[in-house]
Amino acid sequence: MRRGLLGTGHWALARRKRRVLLFWPAPSAQYPAALFRSVVWLLAAAALLLSATTRAATYSLIVSGLGGEPEYEKRFVEQADKLAVAARQLTGSETGTIVLSGAKADRESVRRALRDIAAKAGTDDQVIVTLIGHGSFDGDLYRLNLPGPDLTAAELAALFDAIPARQQLIVNATSASGAVIEQWQRDRRIVITATKGGGEKTATRFAEYWSVALTTLEADTNKDDVITVTEAYDYATRKVAESFKAEALLATEHARIAGAEPARFQVARLGTAARVTTDPAVNAMYAERVRIEREFDGVRERKAALDADNYYDELEGVLVKLALLQRQIDAAQPPAGVQP
Amino acid sequence: MRKNQSNRIERIERKEGETRYSFLCALCVVCGYSGVLLLGLAGSATAQSIDYDPRRPDELRACDEDYYRGRDSVARECYTLLINGPYSAVTRAEAAWRNGDLQRANRFFREAVRSNQRLIHARVRWARLYLSTHQYADAQKLLREALELSPNDTYGRLALAQVYADRFEGQARTLLNELLQEDDALFEAHLLAARMALEDGRLDDADKALDRAAKRADSKFPPLELYSARATLDLARGRDSAAMLKNSWVNRALNYNPQYGAVFESLARFEVMRRRYGEATPLLRKAVEVQPSLWSAHADLGANLLRLGDIDAARQHLQLAYEGDPYSPTTVNTLRLLDRVDEIQTSSTQLTLPATAGTPASEVELRLRLHKKEAAALHPYVMEVARDSIVTFSQRYGYRPTRPLTVELYPEHDDFAVRVAALPGIGLLGVTFGDLVVMDSPSGRATGDFHWGTTLWHEMAHVFTLSMTDNRVPRWLSEGVSVFEEWRTGPTPGVVITPDVLVAMREQRLLPVADLDSGFIRPQYPNQVQVSYAQAGLICLFIEQRWGFAQLPALVRQFERETTTRAAVESTLKISAEEFDRGFQAFLQQRYGNVLARFDEWRRSSQSAGKAIMAEQWQEAIEPARAAIAIYPEDIGPASPYPLLARAMDKTGRRDEAIDALLRFRAMGGWDPAALRELSQWLEQANRTSEASEVLAAVNYADPLNAAQHRTLGEQLLAAGRPEESLREFQVLLALDSHDPAMAHFGMARALRTQGDAVASRRHLLEALETAPHYKPAQALLLQMIEERTE
Repeated sequence: MRRGLLGTGHWALARRKRRVLLFWPAPSAQYPAALFRSVVWLLAAAALLLSATTRAATYSLIVSGLGGEPEYEKRFVEQADKLAVAARQLTGSETGTIVLSGAKADRESVRRALRDIAAKAGTDDQVIVTLIGHGSFDGDLYRLNLPGPDLTAAELAALFDAIPARQQLIVNATSASGAVIEQWQRDRRIVITATKGGGEKTATRFAEYWSVALTTLEADTNKDDVITVTEAYDYATRKVAESFKAEALLATEHARIAGAEPARFQVARLGTAARVTTDPAVNAMYAERVRIEREFDGVRERKAALDADNYYDELEGVLVKLALLQRQIDAAQPPAGVQP
Repeated sequence: MRKNQSNRIERIERKEGETRYSFLCALCVVCGYSGVLLLGLAGSATAQSIDYDPRRPDELRACDEDYYRGRDSVARECYTLLINGPYSAVTRAEAAWRNGDLQRANRFFREAVRSNQRLIHARVRWARLYLSTHQYADAQKLLREALELSPNDTYGRLALAQVYADRFEGQARTLLNELLQEDDALFEAHLLAARMALEDGRLDDADKALDRAAKRADSKFPPLELYSARATLDLARGRDSAAMLKNSWVNRALNYNPQYGAVFESLARFEVMRRRYGEATPLLRKAVEVQPSLWSAHADLGANLLRLGDIDAARQHLQLAYEGDPYSPTTVNTLRLLDRVDEIQTSSTQLTLPATAGTPASEVELRLRLHKKEAAALHPYVMEVARDSIVTFSQRYGYRPTRPLTVELYPEHDDFAVRVAALPGIGLLGVTFGDLVVMDSPSGRATGDFHWGTTLWHEMAHVFTLSMTDNRVPRWLSEGVSVFEEWRTGPTPGVVITPDVLVAMREQRLLPVADLDSGFIRPQYPNQVQVSYAQAGLICLFIEQRWGFAQLPALVRQFERETTTRAAVESTLKISAEEFDRGFQAFLQQRYGNVLARFDEWRRSSQSAGKAIMAEQWQEAIEPARAAIAIYPEDIGPASPYPLLARAMDKTGRRDEAIDALLRFRAMGGWDPAALRELSQWLEQANRTSEASEVLAAVNYADPLNAAQHRTLGEQLLAAGRPEESLREFQVLLALDSHDPAMAHFGMARALRTQGDAVASRRHLLEALETAPHYKPAQALLLQMIEERTE
């Protein structure tokens, strides 16, 4: 059965089924919280109205490149497998997720997979490409190391550009990946690289923590069971920094992110967010929850203007409403089957 | 803006990319413990010492005469003429050096050597230039080149002996003895021998060396360094440093050269070496009063005032030093550190020391200076260890500190190094300057690298032994007490002797008690400092076991006045130092005879357990690990067999025995954070939650910046009905600025609720939900809170 998005979902949704489109975004440093939330709620409301007509799907390609050594080979494949679990949860199907690792991750297979996605994905769909492994940069050309011939940054850029989906996330977790960020950046495409430039050539740790972020609730700071790009990126970069710090080593990688609205882009749905319902009563409750969430944001936006006691009194009132409603939603829905 | 300088070398224009380090690094990189060191000698570039080399160009001598007599402007003019005149590159280099233009001097020396690759004297003098700026690696390289060209060059070898001496390397004495055997008339060699004897505390030897130097003094050279060394000997023999201002040798030096501030600078450096920082200050003030352009003394004064906590005055003198000598790495680095003083958060707490028989309760101020980014997370634990150590040592040693005590932790190891020695790259963990303890923060090193709680405990013991004796306690005894207290009362009690110490015992490389200081000051083999720490600790253990603990503070108190180790041992323990050494050897034999006899067997067992674990042959690892433990139960270091045994037991389904192995590991003083976290997890799984919490809490004193650990411990303590301790863990979790602040607020809300603080609990609950409005456990508590309110 294809999974839908209920509860705290993103507005890019499964293609074949009409969905209620909800989301709980987190503000990012790029967007002032208040402005961002206003836009988000407008979009949420629009999403609700448009849910009857919108058809959207998520496609995910995970490439685990050449390891070079057995230790890296094993590590990359394990990371790809973990990410595949999260991707299948998100795309809702086996066919929406393509995993290429080991000998299968050759140049032609990657090209074919990206062309296949380009052929299937519509403009309203969402595409996530994750590249794991080694990359190299000679000062001019970035190459994704694959069994057989490599793929260059320009070749990959052309393949990505051929994908019509407007919502794209490219995660290049390879060494030297920072060399591609400007080249790959497009409107409505988020690009994440594990390194700040092509000069950081040491094997990276980013993919390890990115995969944890997408498969556990550790990155879920707002506890809505949905992992956004912002949450996953913040988690992974923090963990990478901590790992170097714990070993008292100078960090050899500094991740970068470019692109708009990463807090609105879902990369994993876990726990209750992975549940599916077509029950109109439950959907109505979710719609009510969106309304309360807007009220909650309204209080938070007034924080600076209120004295502390009044602020927390008002906040408490809204939070109680939200908690009572959540209790009703949970009573109406069985516990989620998936709880990584 | 001042730029960072790891060494002045970079500014003098360095060509080689060799590793650079201070003498402190050379001395202590092998040191596994923390401790007081001979700090303060690696200051700014020292004033050029007198060049006794007969090859010194004649044209310099006229200028030198003015220089040595303190006629600075005349001398400067004279040297300037030489720099600009038709003289050799060496002459011009020497003149530029005298005028304080080190970069120019460096260029002239390079020019000289380039023009004649076989020049020996130029290389020796160039090396001396580097030596004067503490650039030992370059100095040594040039001397090596000179000695390749002329292996018997007397002044080249003498300069090399000076390098070794400055770095406190044991080879100094050997080389110096060789030189003096070849030519007993070497005035400078006798002076160096005297200096080394003074540093080692061999005052009679220093006296004799100075007598020999005096007999060989050449009227061509000024007697200033001889007078200065004589004055230092007087100081070492117990003269009050205040009285040194009127000392006859000081007066002779000043009569010869009224601007000879170096005599006071030397005295001050000796006081700093003896950790008598308070006494060094007036001497350094006098040095800069007599010779205002003695930039090295300004820098030393600044550094010393910094040790004493007078930051404003320190900055003033460091700034003066910087203006006079902008290329000194030590000055620049220290000023850079001071520029960031606002990154440090200072807290002050009045501690009450409980009343004991005959002594009423008293108070002492404890100041913690922690970096703002980690102050909230570290403060509770640092405060606890510092407070407990003060209370413990006050009781055990019968001494109550009265002056404020300060503890500083640096998250960047190089900042700590600059704070201590003004140069990055030292291999220390912590240093005590009287009432001030400076150490690495746990965030300054890799997880598991050091046990910060034990390091702080060790340093706090120094505060007591130093204060009790007004810094007279010999190095070995201060270190011995600190190590002994780590074992007896510290956060990880247990006598820990590493295998290399056993090897030293087996090879009979331990020193007699009366000479143990030399193992710290001028080590003769690579790990001798570490071995000396352990030996000093074992000596204290021996005293405790043979004569009772009370004799240990009594021995320390012998040094309330000037005395020697030999006299102190005889007076306290009523036996001679030689008898003491024999008794100590018997004690070691009794305690370590078995492991020494079976050392090879232990090594084989330990190695085969390690190999079996690596190969995941769990069953095969069990017996050798057990055998290794049976032979040498104190081996709790990085390759300890206890965690190996635990792993093997766990993998073969014997979890209870695995737990026992790690509990024994901990009981022996083992503290590896990964092993103890695993132990805690196993204990929790075995429903031994109280023990699990205790073990996890102990990890905070080794690795306190792990968010998951605080979260787990907070939950465990809350479940165990210990909300106060639980609250602390959640507070620290919040302070760590973890990815998940809602979790920390929620923990605090529950801990506060259990404590009955409904108002604070509500606030933290709302803060949790403010961050994460869908946080279901918090929502549930909110609804419960509302229901209770309406009931």
